[in-house]
Amino acid sequence: MSSGVVQSEKYRNSQKRKDFFISLFIGIFAIVWIFPILWTVWTSLRPYNDIISYGIFSWPRHLNFNNYVNAMREMKIGGYLLNSAIVTIPSVILTLFFGSLIAFVVTRYKFKFNLTLLLLFTAGNMLPIVLTYIPVFWMFIWVGELFGNRNLLYNNYGGLILVHVGFQVGFAAFVLSSYMKTIPKEISESATIDGANVFRHYWNVILPLLRPALAALSVLMTTWIYNEFFWALVLMSDDSKRPITSALRRLQGQYVTDFNLLAAGAIIAALPTVILFFVLRKQFIAGLTLGSTKG
Amino acid sequence: MSEKENSLSRRSVLKGAAVGGLGLVAGGALSAESASAAARIKGTTVRWTTRGGGATGDKIAKAVNDAFTKKTGVKVVAQQVNSDDFQNNFAQIMQGSPDDAFGWMAGYRSNHFGELGLLADLTREINRLKSSLPTSAIKGATSPVSKKPYILPTTYYPWALHYRKSMVKDIGMNPEKIDTWDDFVKLMTLTQKKGLVGYSLGAKGGWEAMGTFDILNSRINGYKYHIDLLNGRAKWTDAKTKETFKYFAQLIPFMNDNVLDISWDGMRDLLLQKKTGAMLMGSWFANDFKAKSQADYDDLWVVPFPEINPKWGRDTIDAPLDGISVAANGKNVAAGKALAEFWASPEGIAEAVKAGDTSIYVSKSFDTSSYDSFNKQKLAVLASAKNIMFFLDRDARGDFAGPVVGPAIQSFIKKPSDVNKILESVQAQWDALPKN
Amino acid sequence: MKAAATIKKNRSRRSLSKGDRFTLSAFVGIPTLLQIILLWVPAVVTIVLSFTYWNGVRLEDIRWAGIQNYKTIFVNEPLFYQALKNNGIWLAFFVLVATPLGILLAYQVDRGIKGHAFYESIYYLPVVLSLAVIGIIWNFMLQPGGFVQGLMGLDIGNAISIWGNPDINTWVILGVASWRHIGYIMLLYLSGLKSVDPALKEAAAIDGATEWQIFRKIILPTMQPVNIIIVVITLIESLRAFDLVYIIYGNPTIFPLLNLLVFQNFAGQGISMKGAAYAVILLVLCIVPIITYLRVTFKEDLK
Repeated sequence: MSSGVVQSEKYRNSQKRKDFFISLFIGIFAIVWIFPILWTVWTSLRPYNDIISYGIFSWPRHLNFNNYVNAMREMKIGGYLLNSAIVTIPSVILTLFFGSLIAFVVTRYKFKFNLTLLLLFTAGNMLPIVLTYIPVFWMFIWVGELFGNRNLLYNNYGGLILVHVGFQVGFAAFVLSSYMKTIPKEISESATIDGANVFRHYWNVILPLLRPALAALSVLMTTWIYNEFFWALVLMSDDSKRPITSALRRLQGQYVTDFNLLAAGAIIAALPTVILFFVLRKQFIAGLTLGSTKG
Repeated sequence: MSEKENSLSRRSVLKGAAVGGLGLVAGGALSAESASAAARIKGTTVRWTTRGGGATGDKIAKAVNDAFTKKTGVKVVAQQVNSDDFQNNFAQIMQGSPDDAFGWMAGYRSNHFGELGLLADLTREINRLKSSLPTSAIKGATSPVSKKPYILPTTYYPWALHYRKSMVKDIGMNPEKIDTWDDFVKLMTLTQKKGLVGYSLGAKGGWEAMGTFDILNSRINGYKYHIDLLNGRAKWTDAKTKETFKYFAQLIPFMNDNVLDISWDGMRDLLLQKKTGAMLMGSWFANDFKAKSQADYDDLWVVPFPEINPKWGRDTIDAPLDGISVAANGKNVAAGKALAEFWASPEGIAEAVKAGDTSIYVSKSFDTSSYDSFNKQKLAVLASAKNIMFFLDRDARGDFAGPVVGPAIQSFIKKPSDVNKILESVQAQWDALPKN
Repeated sequence: MKAAATIKKNRSRRSLSKGDRFTLSAFVGIPTLLQIILLWVPAVVTIVLSFTYWNGVRLEDIRWAGIQNYKTIFVNEPLFYQALKNNGIWLAFFVLVATPLGILLAYQVDRGIKGHAFYESIYYLPVVLSLAVIGIIWNFMLQPGGFVQGLMGLDIGNAISIWGNPDINTWVILGVASWRHIGYIMLLYLSGLKSVDPALKEAAAIDGATEWQIFRKIILPTMQPVNIIIVVITLIESLRAFDLVYIIYGNPTIFPLLNLLVFQNFAGQGISMKGAAYAVILLVLCIVPIITYLRVTFKEDLK
């Protein structure tokens, strides 16, 4: 009995020492990790002329938010942020909605095609997106022609949203269905016995139970779609309709010499997802403990 | 193909510009037809794309477009796009919902897409501009296959050797006389001795270094061989081509370490900050020198690339012809054509120049009498050449220049000793292209 | 067991009213249709196109090419093999280095070492940044005249080659990519670890189990669902790598990746169906992990 206590005491002491070094090591790396971001923030606060005249390592003579003001004004970043919102919000909502529908059907009903369906969606999520690029482009043009407006899908928010939903819904369906498997079947059965129809079963019974997983997924999906680069680059030919992520690419070319202004632009572009994550971090972690109780 | 015919005529592009100041006023008599066209487009909206150019590009575009609006009552909606992304997506943008008119490039890049029906035929517009455009410029803008122009030529610029006069003086050489290969090597050697870059090059994008290859090949093997090579009538594995790469290899020790890290703007910065002896580049970057300070701009100089083979002397130059194209799938093609015509007309040119454009226009109306010494020198450099090339990626087909030649030159710079293997691969890739 | 399942199935079938059936068809039909139209049909079209010559504009110009595009790629394209190598290194590095590091980090942070909450936030910060922003940030750090070169006492005149240097650029790019990936994996894993009963670990530790044993025997098995998600994300991120390299280079020639080669050949001014062939090659390479992954994930259901 007493020897056991001594042993665990010893264990704790050596563990403490080890923990100290581990913490130190991780801490040092954390500084390296954050440094590029801090450097960018620092750069964004300094005027271009200071850097040109005194070099990047010089003591700051002026620190202000002028670059941010200029970035909003000259780069018209506000408009691009709005575009990002127009594309991201509906995409996330639709993706989660469709994903939850599929997850609902395959986990609550025993259809023969359930597995095929799930395989189709999960595999689709892993396809290389460039594979579909040119056919999707023609399809958008062709559908547009059909309705007499080439801009119906191509070079339009709607088309971009469709593509995002098409590509992300597989992941949502997969994650949600594995989460839903942990929800006891009895809940559904009692709902059916109570005479709820399929829609009410989904809407009133299942959807509320999915909330933690939906919250977590929405954070993940928002960062994915907001940060998506390729589709916005190729499907939006009007610069003024581009979301911020792909618009930054033009700004990068245009303000290539004025790093400070570009740094401010980059920081502004990063803010929405940074804020979103830190506000919703709890939900995110809680929600992603997906089905781990399943064991 | 056509390059041969074009070569003779392109030469006189220069003459038109060099004479300059003729002050021909074009379009004095509006035909009844164009008057009714003007009435038709009045009150409509036309869309314009500026390809790169930053704030200066926007400013020039605004000046010209505003003048167009004032004249015709057509509203212009303009945007600026990243030039690389625009090119990387060009075929899709032109099929999708392109802006009506945009700045574009002559040569394969406009002819090919014009023949495919993506760029509008501008025959009528170019005919109306005949009094101000030299015939050679018109010919340069016309597809040799369909005999139609898909671009209205506006400006061109020399790819030539740029350096700073003060730096050349510092090493004890005469900045007015860098004529021979030996002069050039001496300049690079002496500059390098001072701990600076002898010859700066960027090849991050793959295309930048094509200029150096173009000029070396035409200096060593002549204009005709170069054009033949780009069109498959000569072989990349030929001893003549290899000779060109021997000279290219001689330049590498003088180059900056980070050739593959930088693009044209990195090269410009090296010269702007007095870190390099010389560089071969298109003169368009001179605007940035002027923006920094008048002293920097006055220090900048340009000469033809030195002679290597006395048989050819300095008879050839890369002078890409730029202009305005109209998208066939635009929403307002008629107004797009009118806008393009305005940009290429003496009136439009006057507006652009007033807004600070330092480009050289091909138009005979273009007055060069007030030119500063650098711009006069640019004209002289252009006029000294007998043959005009358009630049490798405009003289060769698009599925060859970018995807094949660009990376080949990059691998050559990485490892010059691999040259035989690299050239064999280029030839094999040419042979594997689908033949049209 | 089997009989029970059949009965249950029959019951749920029978109990469906007409309206319910309609709702269910819509529930399944709309997303599936979207998926098929936007993903699977285009994929098949691309596969067909990869056997043709075409410049991508007029349909009447399409000509049959047989396997010529593939032959060109395999025989004549030096970039293809470089891309294959780069994608391979990327995948191996992510699987063997970046992902395990992320897991390790998550494990340590979860144990509640000093400052864990702070570390968690810092390591996660790069994850929420887009690769476009990441490209800009690291350009600040590494470009001529930037922070790293400045620290080495180099100005733009004697700057060393980083992005263009074939000896180091692979590792620099992988480093930048891992900067983001490690935090990603850490957070995903962390979310799973929160659900492991701490009493279990404590007990094992008192029994004298080493940390490695605890991790292998207790934590890893409990984390199965999260492990699968991590595998997917790692595979997807490494095979689909595009944004970062496109932002840094703008073209695929210095650091070729399959995705970039598809884009260069499949679009723009030099459009040819060699791009489609590249896309199909990429698909074939993806199919192996896709199928492996599907078999592992749906092992039980497939029985």
